[in-house]
Amino acid sequence: MSSIVEQIENEIASFQAGAVKSNTGKIVSIADGVAKLEGLSGAMYNEMIDFGQGVYGIALNLEEDEVGCVILGDYSKLKEGDEASTTGKLLSVPVGMGLLGRVVDAIGNPIDGKGPINSTETYPVDQIAPGIIPRKSVDQPMQTGIMSIDSMIPIGRGQRELIIGDRSTGKTTIAIDTIINQAKINNQHRNEDGTFPEGFRPVYSIYVAVGQKNSNIARTIAVLEKAGAMEYTIIVSASAGDNPANQYIAPFAGASMGEFFMNNGMDALIVYDDLSKQAVAYRQISLILKRPSGREAYPGDVFYLHSRLLERSARVNEDNGNGSLTALPIIETQAGDVAAYIPTNVISITDGQVFLETDLFNQGIRPAVSVGLSVSRVGSAAQIKAIKKVAGKVKLQLAQFRELAAFAQFGSDLDAKTKAQLERGARVVELFKQKAFNPIPVEVQSSLIYAVQNGYFDAIDVAKIVAATSSLRDFLETRGAKVMDTIRAEKAISDATEAALKTSLAEWVAGFSA
Amino acid sequence: MKRDQKITRLAKKLVELSKDNGVVTEAKVGEVLAGLKQVQHRHHLTVLKTFLNYLRREIALQTAVVSTPAALSDEALKAIEATYSKMYGRPVTAVTKQDTSLIAGVRVRVGDDVYDASVAGRLQRLAENVK
Repeated sequence: MSSIVEQIENEIASFQAGAVKSNTGKIVSIADGVAKLEGLSGAMYNEMIDFGQGVYGIALNLEEDEVGCVILGDYSKLKEGDEASTTGKLLSVPVGMGLLGRVVDAIGNPIDGKGPINSTETYPVDQIAPGIIPRKSVDQPMQTGIMSIDSMIPIGRGQRELIIGDRSTGKTTIAIDTIINQAKINNQHRNEDGTFPEGFRPVYSIYVAVGQKNSNIARTIAVLEKAGAMEYTIIVSASAGDNPANQYIAPFAGASMGEFFMNNGMDALIVYDDLSKQAVAYRQISLILKRPSGREAYPGDVFYLHSRLLERSARVNEDNGNGSLTALPIIETQAGDVAAYIPTNVISITDGQVFLETDLFNQGIRPAVSVGLSVSRVGSAAQIKAIKKVAGKVKLQLAQFRELAAFAQFGSDLDAKTKAQLERGARVVELFKQKAFNPIPVEVQSSLIYAVQNGYFDAIDVAKIVAATSSLRDFLETRGAKVMDTIRAEKAISDATEAALKTSLAEWVAGFSA
Repeated sequence: MKRDQKITRLAKKLVELSKDNGVVTEAKVGEVLAGLKQVQHRHHLTVLKTFLNYLRREIALQTAVVSTPAALSDEALKAIEATYSKMYGRPVTAVTKQDTSLIAGVRVRVGDDVYDASVAGRLQRLAENVK
């Protein structure tokens, strides 16, 4: 109680009397979350406009006699003729470590019922991305814990990797898996007092849910809580029921929260789930603001909307904070059409994409990563040696397998080499099947791929590979823990480690009976 | 009301014509209206409405609406007029308005700009800061 009194006393002491100038305007029309105001002659672009009663808006259209303004939050109480005033501020959100473990709305207000957010710093929502000088190339891995991605489409810290696919192909699952894996790695290295050892860089995650059902968001939170990942995660929620302005601003708010980590020498991961819905919300705002529409009725600056957001993910050098912000934007396609407007835009902005296919998903290949269409443009520089050594050939092998498999359907007479390639390929496909929310540590991944590549799975029937993989994983994590620790520490498979791994694998093969 | 650029431009020119030494005067406005009547524009009514709209805005820029809970002395009004005329670089006339909700102090509005030095406004800002 005394602290509140003190706070009020401080406020009174620092309070400036004297006249305060503000620029005002009147609402001429208000509809669908967009208000047109007369007056506000001093309003600046993107400035916060105060409508009173705790309702704020952003000035988006500055016209000759009018100002077009999107309203954040509940606008049902506002009416024509109401007065609004400029604030001289850009929209800002709270940032900092205090947000970890919290669920906030698009403007940073807590919505998880856990009380106020412990944060003193705020960042403007729309910031200019780091330029050329502060940047550094991507060379640290961001392990997703998903074998097919870490081996074939590796992601580095500071990269922007798009996750794209039709509805219900497992896009969100990949993102959640990645968040869980970061938490697992953090927990693995954390000292008992909660600090991290020198040289270890923990990854904090931000999950931005745009235009999703509240039930889906609740489920995601439950999964993260169950996996113990919430303490490293911030959730920014602008659900389908929120007004379009909140859905438009939420990814930018999330990016600001991520930039705090990047600017302060930490690594962060941000998931935008999903940007197609943000584009739709922005389209709605733009159409109501009567901005000219272009292809698919999106406004002309929809490319800039996504490019300025994704450019904020970067790896910066030592002089500029030495942190990174990795982005995993998600785009939902319609019937696998990657040539639609928004998908092509975001594909061209990002440093690669993970393409998920409905057919693969229905065949039971989950995660349904399409090897042919997925690519990572910068991530291979960030792969650790252990994975590089074993996974170098996998992509080619799988591509050859798909081609041969199509060909082999027509004839049964195949030479021994082709047969061997088909057998190996089928095993690799089975190996990459992985349960949801079950990330695999990178050292186990490399050992599993090593086992397939070196014929340890050849004697096992293809139908039993999934069971064999899980058995081998259990084996490696228990009896082979020593070898795993060595690989994790050395980040490579040296000759001595390889020999030890071979012994372990031989031991497992001898004991495995499917 | 549909915004027609030509009519907007015309209305703005008419406002300029209604000024004498940078100040809108009754006589000049009367001249402009008489002229308009003679010309008989095709969209006479729209032109008039737009003209009225811009004229109101122009007058608001030249008027300082001084809201106070109690009446102000003539000297104080003169001082306010002088201050704002200097600040805006154009003659500003003060008009008083009684507003008891301000509790005490004064609030001045010139065009879109509001200068608040009232107790009610201070209390409101304090409440926002403490929250």
